[in-house]
Amino acid sequence: MDATYIALAQMAVGGGLMGMAYALVAYGFQLTYAAGKAVNFGQGELVMLGAFAGISLAGTGLPYWVSVLGAMVAGAALGWLVERVAVRLALKQHNEGWILLTIIVGLFALSSVENIWGREDRAFPAPWPTGALDIFGISVTWPELAIAAGALGIMTLVELAKRYTMAGIAVQAVSADPEAAELCGVRSRSAISLSWAVSGAAAAFAGTVLGPVTTVGPTMAAALTLKAFSVAVVAGLDSGFGLLIAGIALGAAENLSGYVLGSGWREAPGLILLILALAIRPQGVFGKKIIRKV
Amino acid sequence: MLNVENLHAGYSGDDAVRGISLQVAEGSCVALVGANGAGKSTLVKALCGLLIPRSGRVSFDGKEITGLPASEVARRGLCLCPEGRRVFGPLTVEENLLLGAYPRLPSFGPFRRAASSDLKHIYGMFSRLGERRLQQAGSLSGGEQQMLAIGRVLMAKPRFMVLDEPSMGLAPVVVKEVFEAIRTLHASGMTILLSEQFARIALAISDRAYIIERGSVVLEGPSKELAKNPGVMAAYLG
Repeated sequence: MDATYIALAQMAVGGGLMGMAYALVAYGFQLTYAAGKAVNFGQGELVMLGAFAGISLAGTGLPYWVSVLGAMVAGAALGWLVERVAVRLALKQHNEGWILLTIIVGLFALSSVENIWGREDRAFPAPWPTGALDIFGISVTWPELAIAAGALGIMTLVELAKRYTMAGIAVQAVSADPEAAELCGVRSRSAISLSWAVSGAAAAFAGTVLGPVTTVGPTMAAALTLKAFSVAVVAGLDSGFGLLIAGIALGAAENLSGYVLGSGWREAPGLILLILALAIRPQGVFGKKIIRKV
Repeated sequence: MLNVENLHAGYSGDDAVRGISLQVAEGSCVALVGANGAGKSTLVKALCGLLIPRSGRVSFDGKEITGLPASEVARRGLCLCPEGRRVFGPLTVEENLLLGAYPRLPSFGPFRRAASSDLKHIYGMFSRLGERRLQQAGSLSGGEQQMLAIGRVLMAKPRFMVLDEPSMGLAPVVVKEVFEAIRTLHASGMTILLSEQFARIALAISDRAYIIERGSVVLEGPSKELAKNPGVMAAYLG
């Protein structure tokens, strides 16, 4: 009996730590939604691209940290690009075409990845010690801890920058009232571009910390978009703290259902969560906010 | 200083502004008077870049600014204090004021230090803003929000201030206070374009005025003369 509980707790903790990466990806949704009322439905592809970029950079012999930083720069550039080529076009015409356009850009990214890096899953090299820590009988590996520390670190850093730099305050002003921000001389398009770049960097970083745990392959992208989306739907797009809670809960639920019901059921909680949330809030994630704005 | 020629503008369907021309000389205070829906706000938005005019010309300081984005117009020193105040509710009073000075503050550097003397100046003018500088702007009263909106524009060190319906939704006592502040600004040499539906108070404070009806100028002249015109006062008693 005891052994079962410990195994369940072990599963919950491991999943919860993974779930913090989902929260980080969902946080990217939150950033772009706040500034420009749009999200990237190809965010999972950015996570995957970030991971592959990190692997390739590390493959050239660059130190781990430099590779991670390089992956983030690539992610920022791609995030910026998605907004420029897909989202801005549709919003200019005042329609919801950005949803489809970001999916298309994501698919394009996916096939590029398959062409450049191939379809096989790869290991992400990380300098963490191989052993596990024992915390009250539950073992926690270093790569899992890196996910938690990285997700918390990035989110904290961005939140601090939003409060304590003028650029961050300007982005907040654009989320609150883009016209009034323009009247202050804030170029709202630049503020939106900035938030897409930060969102892309966060996604790429998530790829570099997830990689050592899950391995990296083209199949990770769609699953991650969906999971992050479930987390964002459940937590709402206002609070970073809510995202963390929802992310941890989803990660834990995935691991537990995989353990109890069988590995085929791992993906079920995310989907069930998404369906439930959409059923309870039929206006969808964004409905309320858009109505409030207009 | 500001020269508008035959401006047409509107949102959808018919033009709300139908061929308005007006001039504002440096250092003067000019009022736009007209009923609700006469087209004053549309005109003001088209001047400041929030709305792209359908035709006509706007020039500021001899340079054409027609159709420039609002952020560029603001950076040239033509700053709008918008209708309904539009303060950033979730941000603090001080953050709102800092945003007014955004173009000249460092994006990632020590911006509070760079703005401290300007902030002190605004808090000297509007002491209640100083008392509430760390409160959320959304929690202020209507009058305080109007002071904040004016303070935010002043932080930009504008050369030309456009005020759109500053009296809207305020109690009479507060309206008096707001206009006292506008009068002081004008006395200190600020060029002002004031859009206001209460004719009496707008004509009392301005040098010249344009009476606007259904998107066109129907009368213009020195405010003192317009205030004596019985037709104007009958139509826009307020």
